[in-house]
Amino acid sequence: MAEYKLTDEGKKYLKQGLPEENLANLLRKGPIGFGEAKNKIENFAIAMQWVKKKGWVEVRDGKLSLVKYPEQIEEEEALKKIAAGKQADENVLKILMERNLVEKITETYKKTESELKKKGNTIGKLTHDIIATGLWRGKKFEAVNVRRPAKKIVVKQLGVGNRQPYEEFLMDVRKKLVKMGFIEMTGPTIELEFWNFDALFQPQHHPARTWSQTYALKYPKFGTLPSKKIVDGVKESHENGWKYKWDPRTAMKLMPRAHTTCLSARTLAGKHDIPEKYFALSSCFRPDVIDATHGIEFSQVEGIVVGDVNFKNLLGVLKELAKEIAGAEKVKFLPDYFPFTEPSAQISAKHPEMGWMEFGGSGVFREEWTHAIGVKEPVLAWGMGIDRLAMFKLNLSDIRELFSRNLEWLRARR
Amino acid sequence: MTTIEASHKDICELIGKKVTIEELKELALYAKGEVDEVNGDLLKIEIKDSNRPDLWSAEGIAREIRGRLNPSGCPKYKVRDSGMVINVDKKNKNVRPYTVCAVVKNLRITPDVLSQIIQLQEKIHSTFASNRKELAMGIYDFDRIKPPIKFTTVKPDGIKFTPLEFEEEMTPKEILEKHPKGKEFAHLLAGCREYPIFIDSRGEVLSIPPIINSNYSGKITEQTKNAFIECSGFNFKFLIPALNVVVAALADRGAEIETVKVVYPDKTIITPDLTPKKSWVDADYVRKCIGIKIGDKEICDLLRQANYNVKLKGKGVELEYPAYRQDVMHQRDIVEDIIISYGYNKIEPEPPKIKTVGRLDKMQIFSDKVAGAMVKLGFQQILSYNLTSKENLFEKMNLKEEKIVEIENYVSLNWNVFRTWLLPSVMEFYSNNQHVKFPQRVFEIGDVILIDEKQETKTRDVRKLAVAISDSEVAYDDIGSVLDAFLVALSVKYKLKKCKHASFIEGRVAEIVVKNKSIGFIGEIHPSVLENWKLEMPVAAFEIDVESLK
Repeated sequence: MAEYKLTDEGKKYLKQGLPEENLANLLRKGPIGFGEAKNKIENFAIAMQWVKKKGWVEVRDGKLSLVKYPEQIEEEEALKKIAAGKQADENVLKILMERNLVEKITETYKKTESELKKKGNTIGKLTHDIIATGLWRGKKFEAVNVRRPAKKIVVKQLGVGNRQPYEEFLMDVRKKLVKMGFIEMTGPTIELEFWNFDALFQPQHHPARTWSQTYALKYPKFGTLPSKKIVDGVKESHENGWKYKWDPRTAMKLMPRAHTTCLSARTLAGKHDIPEKYFALSSCFRPDVIDATHGIEFSQVEGIVVGDVNFKNLLGVLKELAKEIAGAEKVKFLPDYFPFTEPSAQISAKHPEMGWMEFGGSGVFREEWTHAIGVKEPVLAWGMGIDRLAMFKLNLSDIRELFSRNLEWLRARR
Repeated sequence: MTTIEASHKDICELIGKKVTIEELKELALYAKGEVDEVNGDLLKIEIKDSNRPDLWSAEGIAREIRGRLNPSGCPKYKVRDSGMVINVDKKNKNVRPYTVCAVVKNLRITPDVLSQIIQLQEKIHSTFASNRKELAMGIYDFDRIKPPIKFTTVKPDGIKFTPLEFEEEMTPKEILEKHPKGKEFAHLLAGCREYPIFIDSRGEVLSIPPIINSNYSGKITEQTKNAFIECSGFNFKFLIPALNVVVAALADRGAEIETVKVVYPDKTIITPDLTPKKSWVDADYVRKCIGIKIGDKEICDLLRQANYNVKLKGKGVELEYPAYRQDVMHQRDIVEDIIISYGYNKIEPEPPKIKTVGRLDKMQIFSDKVAGAMVKLGFQQILSYNLTSKENLFEKMNLKEEKIVEIENYVSLNWNVFRTWLLPSVMEFYSNNQHVKFPQRVFEIGDVILIDEKQETKTRDVRKLAVAISDSEVAYDDIGSVLDAFLVALSVKYKLKKCKHASFIEGRVAEIVVKNKSIGFIGEIHPSVLENWKLEMPVAAFEIDVESLK
């Protein structure tokens, strides 16, 4: 039985010719430019390496010309022999192995091949060996009765599973907010600029609405605006407040939500109770360069309180949150700015282990837009990224690890 | 948010009092500033307010602090007439219609002044003007200009001058092609047949806004005694505050401000106008917004500290505030200034007296239940990003490409579309764990995003569950029994129906049907798909629509 077989690349070259052979054939018609040859020959770098080594081609002034045309190529002859199950010259075989065109037939290969042969070259149970040897190629798979009721499993045999730790952390945060009396809000991931920006009184020329700050969609591009009453209210708030001509077309553009405040805007514009508390915890998307502190997406949690409330109450809510979510007894408030809140406040919290940290942004929603969407009562709002807290809790130094690809790490977190 | 650099010593001189870094950290809050870095005398200060260009300089920060330490109401700026005239050509109407200008005399430009003024101009350009889109500002050596000045337009090759930091003369067209600033901002003049130009009475070019100044007059140095400043663009709402912010900063340094007459074809305006703006605030509204007990008198005092002139009248306060502020749009903006003067941390936090009953979203509760059921069956939960690539979703799964949600300005082609199903995420997870102990039983619950023309966002989020087993041998039955146990646990009756799916082995894949509706599929992943993911272990899996199980 033969000891060697062609690799996929070896098979391909046997069919299409070796790259150096193809290059030599191309140059038979006369010298051509480097760039042109590169475009015409697949695996050009490999071809160049071998034609130079074999002294077939010479390069001058960016042009390639043929020095010697090979009448017979020993590698090709050897590939033919090996494919036919015959013995090839030792030295050439060595080169072919190095070029990864030929590989040794393993014991597993032989065994798997003979087992498959016994079954008339049809595959019953698909196994690691059949996949790893590539022997499934060109074989038939036995059909199974897919409608047959499956055998019952014994749960005990499977061992214990495990929740994803970041997901579990997010659920914990949700539960803490529910305990504080907040109702969860949800909404579409792909959002209208109207809800992400316009409804929030963010003017259409605002720098935060540029490409460097938020994603735009190639497809689908435009959605449809909500009721005329709400649209007219928002248009008026912009034209009176920011003094420019508001463009509905810009508001119709679609984008992946860049913050959770769009969910608050949707909630306030829709049916809701007063007084009431709401929260959202969702993935948000911004075109950041991806590194240890910026993931592909990030989680933001946001809450609103609508009713007879004031700035003092906002600070009260923030203090409670810092305690519930970060375990912080001490907090500090600083002035802040958001286009959609006034007054605005940032909260710093003293985490028992992490020390002072920026905990979140907040404010009282600007009246210009809450009135425009039909809410007459003050609305307190707060929002924060919670990924840093999650990283601390899970002992991670890279934000991307929240979406860990490491099964061992996940399994170990029991 | 705008981060500026400033000298500690310079700020102290502007405040008129020596303060330590620690004191300054507290005082900077009056200017919504946070001292981020201290490097000897050099400070990095983050100004939170991206709508207050007046705060983006040492002068602006010092002004807010001065007001609080030594309240004197709205700063007064003396303005004289320079006698200078700018004539605006009617040709500008369609290219760059407006300009506002000022002359500033008797400057004493120290290195600190120079760096602050350049930084302020740069921050106004990048943030307030969205990278010069809304306005461009030029500062010139007044003594090198011969008024009157003409603001007109010129053909791209209609004139030659030496642009800033260059030695050779160039046409505007050449500047747009060769000068670094020309290349950077050429897009702002795209489609213009003629370019805007400031030119003096001798024909000497001042600048081609919003691109570049001339090297001859468009540069200020420590030797500059008098300056001419212009702001040009499309909307006075941007031009006027930008000009006022810069001249106020220079006036704070002791320079004298002079007006310029700007003559348009249809009107004449005199700029800058630093007359304080007027407003009014209702004292009860202030108390209601903040929730603290303060008297009218105290409100007045706090406002004076915030550089307002105040006069109690009826139930409120009549106000005058500086002309460089364009952010006061509503009483709320005034309320915030009062709180800043009062001190955020002097207010005792008080949670709202609202009793509400919180609750999770129904889908969230159900997903939690589903995850719990899978964990009980011995499966490890994984979590993947929603953003992925078409290659992962289609090509590697042996599927034909479909229309899906795609990002235009993506950061990387690896993350430019939203996923339409979960199994590719699971396969990708497996490809990262080929060396880890088998069997590997994993599941993911998450949203995918499908196109849906009926929705206002043209898309729909759909919660899915994907479950997979990988081992040296895995068969249809293995995953079938998991599906069965899972659906029994949720008391869901289901049927399996033969089907075809290019990601699975033919004859080993079925549709999962609940209440006569197909809600997912189950089967053995085709070895060619496994190879695409560089997997050598077989995988059997199902993916199911979670909503349909409720």
